[in-house]
This record gives sequence, structure tokens and C-alpha cells, in this order.
Amino acid sequence: MVDTGKKNARILVFSTEKISDPAIDMAGLLKLHYPPTIYAISIPCSSGVKPKWILHAFEKGFAGVFIAADGSDCPYGESCTEKTGKIVSTTHELMKQKNIEPARLRMAAICSVCSESFVKQMKSFNENLLKMQGA
Amino acid sequence: MNNKLGVYICHCGGNISDYIDVEKVRQSVENEEGVFLAKTTMFACGDSNQKEMVEDIKNNHLDGVVVASCSPKLHLLTFRAVTERGELNKYNYVHANIREQASWAHSDDKAGATEKAIHIVKAAIAKVRFAESLVPIKISSIKSVAVIGGGVAGMKAAIELSDLGCQVYLIEREYFVGGRVSQWDSLFTTNETGKELVTRLYNDLVKQKNITVYTGAEVISNSGNIGDFKLKIKITPRYIKAKCNQGELQNAIDVCPVEVPDDFNFNITGRKAIYHNFPSEYPQSPVIDIKNCTRCGACEKICENVDFTQKEEIMDINVGSVLMATGFDPYTPADGEFGYNSFDNVITLPQFKRIIDLSNEKLTFKGREIKNIAYIYCVGSRQVEGENKYCSRYCCTSAIHAAIIAKKKFLNIYNFHFTRGIRTYGKQEVLYDESSRMGDIYLQSYENDPPVVTGRNDKAVVRINDILTGKREMEVEADLVVLVTGMVPRKDNSVGSLFKLPKGRDRFFNEIHMKLRPVETVIDGITISGACQGPKNIMETANSALSAAAKSYSYVSKGELELEPIIARIDKDLCTWCNACAQACPFNAIEMEEGKTKNVASINNSACKGCGMCLPVCPTDAINLIAYSNNEIESMIDALAG
Amino acid sequence: MIMQEQIKDASYDVLVIGGGIAGGEAALNLANNGFKVLIVEKDLSIGGKMILLSKVFPTLDCSACITTPKVSEISRHPAITIFTGSEVKKIVKIAENSFEADVLRYPRYVIAEECTGCQLCEQACPVIVKDEYQFNLVGRKAAFIPFTIASPKVAAIDIENCTLCGACEKVCPPKCIDFTQEKEEYRIKVKSVIIATGFKLFDPLLMPRYGFGLYKNIITSMQMERQLAPTRPFNTILRPGDGKVPCKVAYVLCTGSRDATIGNPVCSQICCMYSIKQAQLLMGALPMADVTIYYLNIRSFGKGFEEFYEQAKGMGVNFIKGKIGKISELENGNLKLRYEDINENKVKESEHDIVVLSVGVIANLDTATFFSEQQLKLDSFNFINQTDPLASPARTSINGVFVAGTASGPMDIPDSILSAGSASSEAMCYLIQKK
Repeated sequence: MVDTGKKNARILVFSTEKISDPAIDMAGLLKLHYPPTIYAISIPCSSGVKPKWILHAFEKGFAGVFIAADGSDCPYGESCTEKTGKIVSTTHELMKQKNIEPARLRMAAICSVCSESFVKQMKSFNENLLKMQGA
Repeated sequence: MNNKLGVYICHCGGNISDYIDVEKVRQSVENEEGVFLAKTTMFACGDSNQKEMVEDIKNNHLDGVVVASCSPKLHLLTFRAVTERGELNKYNYVHANIREQASWAHSDDKAGATEKAIHIVKAAIAKVRFAESLVPIKISSIKSVAVIGGGVAGMKAAIELSDLGCQVYLIEREYFVGGRVSQWDSLFTTNETGKELVTRLYNDLVKQKNITVYTGAEVISNSGNIGDFKLKIKITPRYIKAKCNQGELQNAIDVCPVEVPDDFNFNITGRKAIYHNFPSEYPQSPVIDIKNCTRCGACEKICENVDFTQKEEIMDINVGSVLMATGFDPYTPADGEFGYNSFDNVITLPQFKRIIDLSNEKLTFKGREIKNIAYIYCVGSRQVEGENKYCSRYCCTSAIHAAIIAKKKFLNIYNFHFTRGIRTYGKQEVLYDESSRMGDIYLQSYENDPPVVTGRNDKAVVRINDILTGKREMEVEADLVVLVTGMVPRKDNSVGSLFKLPKGRDRFFNEIHMKLRPVETVIDGITISGACQGPKNIMETANSALSAAAKSYSYVSKGELELEPIIARIDKDLCTWCNACAQACPFNAIEMEEGKTKNVASINNSACKGCGMCLPVCPTDAINLIAYSNNEIESMIDALAG
Repeated sequence: MIMQEQIKDASYDVLVIGGGIAGGEAALNLANNGFKVLIVEKDLSIGGKMILLSKVFPTLDCSACITTPKVSEISRHPAITIFTGSEVKKIVKIAENSFEADVLRYPRYVIAEECTGCQLCEQACPVIVKDEYQFNLVGRKAAFIPFTIASPKVAAIDIENCTLCGACEKVCPPKCIDFTQEKEEYRIKVKSVIIATGFKLFDPLLMPRYGFGLYKNIITSMQMERQLAPTRPFNTILRPGDGKVPCKVAYVLCTGSRDATIGNPVCSQICCMYSIKQAQLLMGALPMADVTIYYLNIRSFGKGFEEFYEQAKGMGVNFIKGKIGKISELENGNLKLRYEDINENKVKESEHDIVVLSVGVIANLDTATFFSEQQLKLDSFNFINQTDPLASPARTSINGVFVAGTASGPMDIPDSILSAGSASSEAMCYLIQKK
């Protein structure tokens, strides 16, 4: 079901309006390049991602999904990290049931100035996904 | 479903169209379902395009609008307002970011950037089809502001806010207000002293009826939001009764057996555990430094005003806005950095300023008279190796000013400045001229060839390859080496973390946008001012404090604020009330509601912040966030995947 | 019958003089807090110098993207009235909270409310003169719209150069050209005044040894700024002498700043940074070009500035610590710079095909004439004197009159905006306290 045969992997990023969006925007401002097949949907908080959305993305052909989590910077409270983590583990279980490699869903905290770290994450995720496709 | 959409794709001058084939994007989306018109524009945000959009919306009765341009951080509000002027509810507007996330991010791949932009615009179109008209939630806003930090920025802002009619709480962590400026003597450009400036502001401050000043006070928690921040403040007592007799007090200080470094004088002198900083600091009441006090009771025996029974207090205050004015710390050089802590006559600029202030007739340090002074600039700023890449802005002028004051106040002072290029910007340039005319020597080193400090006899020797005299090696035997240290963020910046304020690459608090929203932070209702935002001189600090005060005022002045109606919504048919959502909600915004056939969850609209934490935990998928519903997100995914 | 000159009355809370970024910001702050504001702008458009810039340092945001929405917000705001093409002639303070200003509105010869900005008049007009909004790089017509993103985007007739041929009148679809318009005089009552008259750029003709005006391939930084702007006159960078795309560009910093010999000893605070910015943009626009910046000290002191300077060095911009003695022209139009290389302590020469003079910030002397009965004090550089610069930087020698932006001295855009915030804040207090 996942996308194959393209130079770059198609990745969906769930980013957050107050924390990781500014980092992704700043990556653009600083012209830190990353593959153009990476798309972001922004939401208020990373702990609000529904597992069914992630599965929907895989069904529609995304090779990977990345949650750019608020981490400890979340404006809505400290429980965000734990809750986002739980979403990932729940979804990993659902993915296994559907024979999707769990490594296709990643999460990392991206703070509002973590542009470089975002780009690094994207490049390595892209490479890993391409390798998985090759394998 | 909205079915008559207007789509506008912006060239942004060339910021977008230099990398993205804007016309191709337009053609690729004009036949998407529901699109009524699709246009390109040179500047979507320009007045003429805004007018055109208003006309388009009105004349064609559009029911949804998309602009594909820069980040929504910049112009989401601009285009919502345009939509509203077109007599369409502003929540029928969706913003597509094809600049920061397409043209700029992929300026190396024009075809890729164009392809991505097409998908981004299609996703926005998919989303706007589900958009609905919403009414903002109105909340009341308390007409009071907490100003955190009682330096010149905080005092100035507090006075301004009080003049404008707000209740103000000025919260200072130290026992005295005035901050760093109270530690400075003569100030550039007015030659007013720091203590005079602080005195002037303090007198204004105490005249105000609606300012409450808390010293020795720290914010320990916050559980509210814009319009209604609920702060807990911990106030440590002074252990001195409110009214005390100065004469007895001096005796009490004299008998105190504890001596600790005096941080008011940047540790070049000592002070007792019971102390005051008269006449520079306010309030003019002494304090017992309880951390260092041994409770020997000597002061208590002499002075009846000492009161060890005073207890720490916790106060609750409610404010509509918080203004941060927490200032900076001077950079502390590492051991051995330009001889710091290796030679006992190597000191920092703030220490030097205190020495000038404390010395009379002769400039002395550790009992020795000072004649030759070497200043090494950019210590802790513009670091090649270290992490402080930024310029600290105030130090060139401040060091030159101190050098001039030393020369004027004392005889036989010779100043040698080891610089990396003097930055007396603007009118401060005249000070640099004055110092050169007075005979100060300026030497400049190469970027990769900093001056070296070594010892010879009891003097420190500063050696430099000087650019200005054609790379000649120059040596100065100095009685005193002054390290011109820059500004760094406060060592203890926990109050920033408490409010979750983002920091920039320089680790100072960050504004939303340097030019558009220079005193606002991403946390609604919290403004920043002064040097906690980055290095500033006093005038720049006053300007930023007044700007921040005006902004904080605008949050509370009307007594009412409009909040985004982006909140959670329960599908009562699907809900089976399991309490999972209520447990996940950090704001206690979900309660059980008894229904006729079953109990269901219900959302408290003014408490819900729209974070969405309740969404994934619902076993029956009965909760959606307005504007982020399953339909919207899944159709966006479809568009992005296609 | 002779037209009776009529003085019109009007009253506002605050008069803001100057509709640049500082005046605009101050006006918006006041209007958003419920005060009625009149902006008087001398030019035909608001937005000041900022609206004409390319991108801004250190973020490289496009200047128009930041300015146009502000300008649009100002021009739409129900509590703000704007007079463009108008001058303040005289202000008298009658009492606290009471000022009277005489304002002259020059005719535009176009009925502004009816003009659609279609530019047909511009096409029809046979007269071509130098375009001051493009800093004389190209021409414009006598019937013209100042520039694409001007606000208001309304045509005007440059009556000095107009031949009254009537061509524009014939083609104008809404028939809004009106040669009968006359000057209008207003007597305005206000409670407070904010001066945001900005600065003037140094005129390099005052430094003949640089040869500006004599050698065609020497331009000012503002002319380069226009060439790099989104609304640029050409689609690339050209040197004016022969239209060649330059490949060896020189920047001469401190032109008209830090130089007592031309009467301006102070540092202009912005030239280092805008030159570094232009150098970065040039490296992007002309990948093969060499850009050299001749400087005395680089003053990258603001938030993110030092990092921006380092970034330029990383991109390959050459920085030479050198003092320019003389510039002369070669036969092919190239320019020979004779300079003292301070690092090597030698006099050297170098050849460039275009030289950009990074001109400094000079006080706008218009402000001196506003008050005749009270004294608005100036500082020794003719900027408006700040009477309490450390505690209340916006205060002037007249209570109730405040200064915003570069009218009080050189500053960059972020500082101008904070200074405007400060001036509006003080004005609000003044208005509320004196009520």
C-alpha cells in the first residue's frame, strides 16, 4: 500500500501551531532544504492526533508519518509528552495488525527553534523509509 | 459543504514565484471541486488585492476563501479580516503556507516546490469545503497586569500601566527593586547616575495608588490563561519589622558575625547576613539574608526591629496579562578565560564600574593603586568557539563610558582598549570620539587572533597583534585588566519555563516577530520587554517596556476578550460517557451531563482551550475539534497523498 | 468670481506627522485603543521608506510583505484619517491637551475617491520625467501612480511637469481627473502630537572625491535597494552607465556617516546591516558576482545581526577593512577605488564595475519649522531632542509632543517600531491623565 518507486518518500508531518510550526517555518526561512515530498498538517497540539488519521495516511499512500511533538514546551500542559507517546504506541499496535512496519511512524519533540533538528530528522526518516522500500 | 470557493495564489514579489510556477499552481487547482475562481496576485496582502478579494467575495457570494502565501503566523488574521469585510464569516477562510514550507524550503528544487505547493493548496481547498461560520467566544478580562521583574523596564511598564488605569502587581525576586541599573553609577548619555534614575522611577511608582510592589517574591505557579491568569506568588520575609530605626540597624549590622560576598558589588566586597544597599536601592528597608544567617541572635539583642517570627507567605493573584521584565545576567568568564581567576587583577566590566563608584581620590583595587588599565572586549559575546554568537550591543559604549569616567575622576589613568572593532552605533559614536581625543589607545585584534593575558611580576600583561598599527605585536603591562563582558540570559530563568515562553537561538526570550509583533510571545497574553528579550541599552529598554505596557493594556483595557471558537465538540449519539476524555482534559473543561437515555460528556466552552487532548482517548470517536474534524483532516490527507 | 480661500476645521485626539512605519505604528496603537488620529504625510503614499525596500535584515522577510498589510490596516481603520500630499505648516500649543495645527493639502488633480488605479492616464501621458520613487533609475509620466503598492493606489498629476495636454482626461474611464482642484487649508485641533517625520538620506554629491553624479556606475544604496525590490524597475541588476549586469560590486560604508568633515560625526546605525543584506541578495541574484564591502567597523549589534554578518562571510562576501580615498572612472566605465587597507597598512587600488555608496541617515529639518511659539529643541545633530532619553525616550521639550522613530536619531526598523510603541504609549497616558 505504501508509496514506492519515487526518489523521495512521501511523509506526512503532524506539526503544532505554536511550537513545531515555527520551527518548520524557520527551516524554510533559513533555506535549510529537505525533501519536497514532506507535507505538514498543523493542529493545535500533538497529543490530539487520532490514530485513525495516521492509519488513513498510510492507506492513502504515505510512506511515513512523523509527529513533530510539542514535548515539554507544550502550552497546554506537561502531560502532552506522555499523551503523545501513548498515541504512538497505540498506533504502532494497530499498524502491526495491518502489517505496516512500526518504523514508519516516528515521533520527536521539535521545539519552536528546532529547525535544524527538524531537517535532520526529516532527512534521516526519508533515508530510512527509502531503505525499507528497497529491502 | 462550501461550494463556491475563491482561491488566491500569491507571488509574494518573487519570494514565491521565483521558485514556484504560480500559474501552474493556479491551473492545477482551478478545477478542484467547489472552486469558483482561482487567481494569482503579486502581493495578496497588498491593499489593492485585499479590495479585489472583498469585491469578489461580495459580488459572487463566495462561501469559502483560500489564500496561498506566507506562513499563517504573518497573515492568517489579515485574510480573516478581508473575508469578514466581504461579509463572509471569517472562519470560512483557510490559509495555505507555500512560502516558508514550499518556495523557501525547497528553493533548490523548483519542480518539487511547485508540486508540493499544488498539493498544499488542494489540501487547503479540501479543508475550507468543511469550514463553518463560527462566533468567537467572549470571556471577561481582568483589568490588572502582573509585571515580573522590578528593574527599570518593569518599573517603567508598571507606572505606565497604572497611569492607563490598570491594577498592577510588580513582582521582584530580589529584596530591592531597580535591577542592574541601581548598580551603575554615571549613565550615558545623561550622566544621571543609576541610583538617581532608580530613585526617580521609584518615587513615581510609590505615588501610584494601584501598584502593589512585592519584593523577595517569586511566581511559583500559573494555572490560568489570557484574561485570567491565576498566579501563586511566594513572598519571603525580610525578617525586619516594617518601620525600623536606622541607628539601631547599623549597630545590628555591625554585630552580625557572618560575612558573605556582596553580589550588589559583584562580589568585590563583602556584606553581612543582615544588610541594606542604601542609598541605591528601594525599598529602603534592610533585610536578613536567611540562607546565610546563622541565627546567632546577635542582631536581635541590639535591634528590636529584627523579627525572626515572620513567615513565608503564599499569595494568589488574578491578572489579565503578564509582562515579563526579568532582565539579564552579566557574562561570567570561565576560569582562565583571559586570565580570569588566574590573575587577581583581572576583573569584569560590572566589577570595574563598582570599583570606580567605590573608590575616592585614587582608583584602587585590592589595596593597589591603578594607573594602566587594559580593556578586553567581546568577552562572552561574538564567540567563535562558545555558544554566544551574538553581539551584546551595550558593552562597547558602556566600557568606553566607564573608561572616560575613570579618567575624569582619577589622576594618571591610562586606558588601553583591546577591541574587535568598536560598535558605538548611532549617536554613541561621539563618546568614542571623545575617548580617542582624551588619549585612550585603541588596538584591534584579528578575529582568529585574540589578545593573550600572561603574568609578569605582579602585573598582568596583555599582548596583541594589532591590526591598526599593521600587525605589530603590542604589549601592555596593566595594573588592572577589565574583561568587557556581555549580557547573557538570567541563570535562573525558571519563571520563563513556568509560562512556557519560547527562547531564541541566543537563549533569550523570543518575540513572535521582530517587526510585526515585537513585544508579544506565542503564549497569548504574555508580553516581553527589556533585556530578557536580548541585549539592550537603557533607552532601548524603556522603549520596549512602554511598547509592552501598551500591548498588555490592550489585552485588558476593554474588560472583555474574544477567543477563538476552536473547541472540542461531542457527538452525543456516539458518546457512551466513559470519563476518559474528562481525565485527559488538562483544563477540567469536560463534565458529565445526564441525558434522558444515557449520560454523555459535555464541554464547558469558556474553559476548553481547543488542544484536542481528549480526541484520541475516546473509544467511540465521539469527539471532534472544530476546524480539525475527521472530515477535514482526512480530506486534507487525501489531497496531500494524491 | 474669485474662489474664496476657505479654512476648514477639524479635530482629532492625536496628530501624527509622518506616515512611515513609525508614524503608522503609533497611529494604529492609538486608534486600536479608541483614540481618533490624523496622519499627515508629505508624500503621495504612506509607508515611508520601508515600503520601498527589498527585504529586511536579519530575517530576509520581504519588506513589502510586512509593510503592505500594516499600511492597509492603517488606511482602513475607522479611527484614522490620512492626508497624503499634505504638509504641516505650523503648530501652536494653546494649553495642555490643546494644540492647533495648520495643515496644507496640496491638490492631486485626481478625485481620489473615484480613481480605480487603472493606469490608463499613465499610458496616455506624453511627458516623461525622472521617477523619484525609483530613485531616478527610470522615468515616470506626469500623470502617474507613485508605485505598484502605494497606498492610496490613486493617480496624481505632477503639475510642475504637466503640459495640460488633456490626454489623461480623455482616457480616464471614471472621468476623475480634475484640474480645477485647489490647495486646501485646514485648521486642526488636537490634544497631542506625535512627530514621526523620519530621516533624510545623505546626499553623496556633497563628497566630490567619490565622483557620484559624475561617474554613472556609482549608485546609492537606496538605488540598489530598488533594483533588488519585488517592485523593481528592471528584472535584474543593471549598472546605469551601459545596462551591463555587474560582476564586481563594491560597497563603500560610512558614506556621509562618522565623518566630521561633512558635518555628520555620528554612526547611522543601519548602513552596515543593509549593505550586508544587499550583498547577500546580490549573491543570490547574480551567482557569479564578487561583492566586496569596504568598512571601518562592522556594526552588527542587534538581535540576530552578528549571526547575519557571519552568514554573509560564509556565503563569500569579501570584507575589507579599508578607508576609501578617491574613486575614479576607467574608460570602460569601471571604477578604480584607491583605499588604505587597514589590516595590511598599505594603500591599494582595486577595480569594480559598479560602486554602491552606503549612504547614511541625516536629520529631517522639516521638524524645525513646526512650532513657532514654543521651542521644539533639537540635538546637536538636528534630530529632535529627547529630554529624558533614559526613562521616557519619546518625550520632547514640549509637553504633549512626542517623537517616534528616526526623527530622534538613526535607528533600524525594529527599534523604530518599539520607539513608536513607546511614543503612542506616552501619548495615551497624556490623553488619559489630562482628561
